[in-house]
Amino acid sequence: MAEQASPRDRSVDVLPPGHRLTVDLFAGMAEAAGNRRLVIPWDGGSVAQLRGILGDLCPAIGPLLARSAIAVGGRYASDDTPVESNADVAVIPPVSGG
Amino acid sequence: MSSPEACPQPACGRGPHCRLIRTPIDTVALLAAVAEDNAGGNVLFVGTTRGVTEGVVTRGLEYEAHESLALGLLDELRAEALARFSLSGCHVVHRLGPVAVGAASIAIATSAPHRREAFAAAEWLLERIKAVVPIWKCDEGGDGSRRWSHPGDMRAVAGEGG
Repeated sequence: MAEQASPRDRSVDVLPPGHRLTVDLFAGMAEAAGNRRLVIPWDGGSVAQLRGILGDLCPAIGPLLARSAIAVGGRYASDDTPVESNADVAVIPPVSGG
Repeated sequence: MSSPEACPQPACGRGPHCRLIRTPIDTVALLAAVAEDNAGGNVLFVGTTRGVTEGVVTRGLEYEAHESLALGLLDELRAEALARFSLSGCHVVHRLGPVAVGAASIAIATSAPHRREAFAAAEWLLERIKAVVPIWKCDEGGDGSRRWSHPGDMRAVAGEGG
């Protein structure tokens, strides 16, 4: 799927690589955001900072985000994990497979 | 370890032992795939879509996954199960996309020298998969409504290191 800007800030598309972060969304999280992918301004920081920015940019995902894990580089990450701008990042809402 | 050629269904992802597929699960072939000469206990668990849950009618389910993360975690869980329960064989398949009522959404096959380990491993794997593997179901109700299922809190999973 093509990259899409977050609903509240389409200007992020013009930010140069290194200053933006692509975040993949799934299931009810994608439904709440209205996008399967958010691109946000990002100069590096922690998972905790990423949670704050995502919640500010896209309030609709806030309640589910509070119960979600963040995966960085293909691993579940703790809140103090650093996130580089080129990282592979996904929000993982509570799972329901089986 | 069986070769990819011995795998009962085409591989999707990195390995033949844990797969995410969009076609019906061949449970008979899955059970046959864990047969080993030293295995005296062979267990097949099949999870199917319920038509009614607590009085609410389900027309069908749809599954979605973060596929690379899910396959990586399935491989890790399988490796842990092999060691923890001294298994002879272990295969896991999960459906993605729409799954009709009564159809299998997940199948786990385990084999071990003795039955106790094979039973225990299949249950342990199912519970771990349901707790940590990024697969989600969307319930299509009898009235046509669609609702993603997101029970509990995943932040504890990140805290335990996935």
